[in-house]
Order: sequence, then C-alpha cells, then structure tokens
Amino acid sequence: MFKYNIKLAFKSMRRNPAMTALMVAAIAVGIGVSMTTLTVFYMMSSNPIPEKSDVLFAVTMDSWNPLRPFDEDEPERAPHQLTFHDAERLLALAEAKRQTAMFESSLIIEPLNDDDLPFEAGARVASSDFFTMFNVPFLYGSGWDKSTDSSADPVVVLGKELNERLFGGEDSVGKSLTMQGIRFRVLGVTDHWEPTPRFYDPINGGFQEVNDMFIPYSLTRVLELRSEGSDWGWKSEDITSFEQWLNSENVWVQYFIELDGARDRDEYVSHLDAYVGEQKKLGRFERPMNNNIYNVEEWMAYHEVVANDSKVLVGLSFLFLVVCLLSTIALTLTKFVGKKAETSLRRALGASRKMIFKQQIVEVGMIGFTGGLIGLSLAALGLVGIEYIYEAPGGLVKMDWIMVMTAIAVAVISSIIAGLYPAWRVCRIPPATQLKTQ
Amino acid sequence: MDFGPMVSALMRNKTGAILVAVQIAVTLAIVINSLYIIVLRVEKINRETGIDVDNVIVAYVRGFGENFDVVDSITNDIDLIKSIPGVRAATVSNHVPLTGSGSGTGLRTEPDETIESVPTARYRWSAEGLDALGIELSRGRNFYPEEVNYILPASNPPTPASILVTQQLANDLFGEEDALGKTVYWGSMEPSTIVGIIGRMHGSWVGWDKLENVVIQPGKPAYTSDKYIIRVEPGMRDELIPVIEKELGESNRQRVVLAMRTLEEMAARSYRSDRGMAIILSIVISLLIGLTALVIVGLASFHVTQRTKQIGTRRALGARRIDIIRYFMLENWMITTAGAVIGAVLTVAVAYWLEVSFELQRLDWRYLPVGIVVLWVLSSLAVLEPSRRAACVPPAVATRSV
Repeated sequence: MFKYNIKLAFKSMRRNPAMTALMVAAIAVGIGVSMTTLTVFYMMSSNPIPEKSDVLFAVTMDSWNPLRPFDEDEPERAPHQLTFHDAERLLALAEAKRQTAMFESSLIIEPLNDDDLPFEAGARVASSDFFTMFNVPFLYGSGWDKSTDSSADPVVVLGKELNERLFGGEDSVGKSLTMQGIRFRVLGVTDHWEPTPRFYDPINGGFQEVNDMFIPYSLTRVLELRSEGSDWGWKSEDITSFEQWLNSENVWVQYFIELDGARDRDEYVSHLDAYVGEQKKLGRFERPMNNNIYNVEEWMAYHEVVANDSKVLVGLSFLFLVVCLLSTIALTLTKFVGKKAETSLRRALGASRKMIFKQQIVEVGMIGFTGGLIGLSLAALGLVGIEYIYEAPGGLVKMDWIMVMTAIAVAVISSIIAGLYPAWRVCRIPPATQLKTQ
Repeated sequence: MDFGPMVSALMRNKTGAILVAVQIAVTLAIVINSLYIIVLRVEKINRETGIDVDNVIVAYVRGFGENFDVVDSITNDIDLIKSIPGVRAATVSNHVPLTGSGSGTGLRTEPDETIESVPTARYRWSAEGLDALGIELSRGRNFYPEEVNYILPASNPPTPASILVTQQLANDLFGEEDALGKTVYWGSMEPSTIVGIIGRMHGSWVGWDKLENVVIQPGKPAYTSDKYIIRVEPGMRDELIPVIEKELGESNRQRVVLAMRTLEEMAARSYRSDRGMAIILSIVISLLIGLTALVIVGLASFHVTQRTKQIGTRRALGARRIDIIRYFMLENWMITTAGAVIGAVLTVAVAYWLEVSFELQRLDWRYLPVGIVVLWVLSSLAVLEPSRRAACVPPAVATRSV
C-alpha cells in the first residue's frame, strides 16, 4: 500500500512540476538557511570538554582599584585575570586538586640547520597540571612533572603541527631546539587538539587556534617572558625592572583549577577569601571581598563566547523557515484543492477518508524529504561560505550526524505539519459531487 | 469597482488568503529588520578613518640572540626603509590603528583620582608618525624631533611634555573650550600639554564607541617585538612590500621579519564580523524576497487557471480586459495590505526583541512605510503577468463545458 502511495505521490508531483519544484525549493531554502545559522550557533555554544566542564574553574580575585570596579558596566565582577605574584602564591598553596597559571607568549625558534630561517612560534606558558586538567592528547612523550614547576628546566611540549615543521613529524622526544639562546629539551608532542570554543582562554579569543607549543610557567622569570595576550592595570607604579613588573598590580595571568567535584566550590572560594584576607592586612585588595570561580560553561557565558550576531541570525533564519512553511501550506492547499475531481473519483471508487489522508501526507512527506536533502547541501555550501567570510580555520564549523538528522527531521516533520490542514480539507471532499458536472 | 463581490470571493477561500497575508507579514518583518542591520553595518565599515589606509604597510619585526641591540636595529631599519624609493614616511610605533591590537588609558583635566577619567586609545610614535599614517593635524604643531626618544622595555617612560589629541577626545575632555595648550593628567597624575589637535583619527578597536578618542605620545618604542608603520606613494604598495621585506631580511640576521601586512587587509579583518553579518543578511533577504515573490506568482497563476471558466463568464457578461486585470490586481492588493498591517506589528515586535535581547540599535521607523510601499510595488509586479494571462481568456470559454 505504501508503495502505491509513493507511486501516486510521484504521479501527482509530476502533474504539476512547477508547483512541486516551488514547494521543494521553499523547504530547501528554509532548511538551508536555518541549518547554516544553527550549526554556527551550535558550534559556538558547544561544550568543549563535557566530561570535566563542571569541575574545571577559572579563578578571579578582586585586586582592582579601590575607587572603581574593573568593569564599569558589570561592577560586580572582579578582574578576569590575576597578578603574577598572586598566581604564583596560589600555585604554591596548591589548594585545589590541580591548578595551572598561564598566559600567551611567543619565542623565536632558532634554525636547526644553517639554511633554515629563524621563526616565531606562539607558546602557552603553563604549569605541569595543564595537560592532565584539560585532557590534552599526546602523540609522543608527556608533559613536564611537578618538579619542573619550581626548577624551571628549559623543556617544551610541541604541538603536532610545529613538530611536523621542525622534525618532520617523527618522535622528537629527547631532541632539543634553541629558543632565545637557550637549549630546550622536547618532552612531548601533543596530538591534534582543538577544543572549540578554546575554553581555557576566551579572553584572547574563543575561536583561535591552539598555541604552537607549551613551556613551563617557571620559565617566566628566567626568560623574562611577557604576556602577549591582554594585560590590564590601574595603579601607577614605578616599574624599571622585570622583577618590578612581576610584582606590580597589573593583571595578566589566567588561573584555572580542577576540583574533585562541583560541591567543593564554596570551600575553594573560602580558601581564596582567606588568602585575600591575609593580603588585605598588607594593604592590598582594598576593594570589598569579591572572589569567584566560574566553571567552563559559566566562563564561556561570562565572556559572551557566543556572538550576539549568531543568535540574531538564528532567530531571523527561523522566522525565514516559518515563511517557507507558510509557503508550503499555501501551495499544498492550492494544489490539493485543485485535485478535487481526482479525489472525488477515488472516494467514489471506494477509497476511505483515511486512505486519502494518508496519500496526501505521503506526498508532502516526500516533498519535505527531498527539500531537506537539498537544504542540507545548501547548508553545507553556506557553512563553507561562512568559513570564508569569517576567515575561520577550515572545518571549524561542520555538521555532525546530529545536525544532519535534525535537518531531515525538521524538513519532513514541518512539511507534514504543513500538509495536515490541506489533507484534512481534501479528505472531506464528498465522493460524488465533483463528478456531477463531468 | 465594487469591493463587495471581491471580498466575498476571498472569504470563500479565506485560508489561502490568510496564509499569503501572514507570509507577507513575516517577510516584511524579516526584510525590514535585516535591511536596517545591513545599513548600520555598512555605515560602520565605511566610516571616515582619518587615515590613508590604502597606502600604509606595517612590518612586524622581532630581534633575538645575545648581541641584539634593539635601538641600533630600529634606527638602521627605519633609515633603510626610508632610503627605498617610493617610501614617503616610516616610524616605529607601539600599536597600529584599526588592527584590534592597542593600548588604552584614561585622561583627566584635574590631578584628582576621584574624578572619572576619559577613556582613550594611546599611541606612541616619532615625529613622522602622522605622515606615516596620512593623518592631518588640524591645529597646533607636531612633535619636535628632540621630544622623541627611545623607550626601552621594563622601564617607566617619562611622562611626555607634549601630546597630540583628536578633536573628539578634546571635546570629551574640555567640552566647548579650546583644548589647544591645555594640560591633561595621566593615571600617575603627571601632566602633559596638548600641543596639537588631530581633526579625526580612528584608534585600534573598531567596535568601541570611543573609537575616535586617541592620544599620541612622542617616543620610539624599542621592545623585543616592534612594529614599523610605512606609508608609500599611491599605487606602489603591493610592489614595495616584497622589496622592503627582502631589504630588511638581508640587512640584519638577528632580527626576524615576522610579517608584512597592508593596513587595508588588517582593517578589513577588524570589520569582518560586520561585513559577514551584512553579507549573510543580504543573501537571506534576497532568498526570502525571491521565494515570496515566486509563491505569489505561483498561487496567482494557479487561481487564474482554476477560475478560467469564471473569467470567461464575466467576459461574456461584458467585463473588459482591464476589468479582469484590475480584479486580480485589487484582490492581490487587498491581501498584501492585510499582510502589511500584520507585518507592521510583527516588524516592531521583532525590532523590540532585537533591541532588548541583543542591544541592537532601535529600528528607524522610516524603514517601515518605505518597506510597505516597496512591498506593494513588488507584489503588484508579481501578479501582473498572471492577471494579463487571465485577461486573455476569451469570453467564449463560458459557453463550453469544461
């Protein structure tokens, strides 16, 4: 019977090819546009580390100007980064299960061979826990151990791409390279790692590529490394040496912790309060006590990682989909009403209302399915276009199976909904009346 | 023409008419709101920058190794760059306008920390900085060469005696008063005197509402990583980039040329999300208008075909061709107008939602009447051809049975 339904549907679709094409096009365009914007939104708002997002926290402490808040628009917020010396002390206190201080920097890699040129590579300066905390996958070797956090050994973990550039992708653990005149030993090579959004540093960009390499935080002093991310200051201090810069009230270090469970949150904040209480006695932290930790999803929301434009586009494109569905209903209605004679005849020959109804639904379902498939290809095209327009790294936004299935389901279900009323109208056509005039 | 029979005819098939009207309404709401966003973004991208964006090149360099002397390196590099034919001016600078990377500070008119400071972007460059960006000084003077010194990393540069500010910053600081020759105070409460006023110049962050607040300090930043701003003769930019890069590369092996960029591409990059939004919305509304127009044409054609007999009867009873055309046009006009009325409400609702949820600028109400007029014209054009076909139905059709 279903086969017969499909056969009839094909016949009916062919009878009015322009109308059918218009219906398919309406659904295709609606699905294409809304799936494109939805996929971008889905990518931006996805959880980059679902297995740990509720136990990883960004730490903020209010060390800012006693006269005014860090952010005048959000006065309840503490600065989103820490001073170097506060981060150093929190690391030493080690009150969380794991913790890392970190910032962005870059180093010049001197050539391995005489004919190569030196080049600059971006570095994430971080503590030993960084790799375990953030589940960084390793191709070879591993990160550095805890002792390096104090000994400041010149060691480096290379990203997969940098290892390919320097060592042709082979296991380079134990090899060395010269940066800033110092010989670094390679301890490990990470596998391709692309958390999207780049949750550990939304401050410097939630959708940038992960740094080329990782080096120990303890090297900051040795190499006089400065942050190449954002830094903020409020106090006018006399800074004539690197050490004075490190001891200044400028905030430029990001600090993340891992706790055993989300319930340990308050306990950790009370540790922060205790630390700030001590500092207050020394005349620092003159603002009211305002220490907070944010889990990964809260941190993404804090930094508005999902662009407003993306939300606006999703909203407008779903209104667009509504227009497409209205078109489909109007076209379906017109078309079915135009089939009065045929339906009458089928009814007179014994087809039940249920059968007529089913026939109509099969027909719109097929139109929806075809429109959905074409819409998916349009969406794929749209995503390539968006990557091009926004100069995003290729493949950043892609549809996974969930999105593909959603698209087809939305197309079929919405077109069936669009067909319900017309189908109901059609199956109320009485058997004989339409035959009389002929 | 009598509306009575037309309305009763419409009421007989009211679902279809309502559907089309609602579709027109939603179309109107999307198109007007999107168009408004597009216009705002395009205006934003095309703002006057005060900078000769097309003829500026930026070189990013970085020294390394033990014997690297940053002051020597910058002095030699700038001399070398200026010796290349076609180069008009060059300076080392702490940051480059329009690139998204910059430095900000706050200035006050009184040395009192409790009063609110005026936020501004801050640049530090040599006496050639203005020329290197093609920025016009509207009043006062540029820096004297002796005011410009090298500034080494990890040192607090001395507060400069003379500074330049943009007119916008001067207004924010001093209001109606003339700012030239006035004193302003930094966060350290140390004073500087405004010696020159720049008519207009954009700072670093194109999304910031204080984009035109800029203060310039004299100085040559000598950090490990440095930026050279280079202005060339019109039309020579693209041929000079490789020349400059090669000469710099060969002159010093302890300094890497990290990148050569045109200011044009970096500014475009700063605006890419605005441009992206404008492009995407343009595509969306083109598709939408196309679809709605096709649906109107499709439905009208279908109705004409369905009503062939009725049209023939009317023609046989003496209706002229123009009457038939008028009938279909008016019918469509009524549906469109109903759509426009619902659409106006919907447009305002969507505009309100965008304004409240996403802090978008409030819709300019004038877009609505213009949109409705355009809608009338477009939908009339869409039914013109189907109604002309209807008018061609011969009266004799009425006499035939189907």
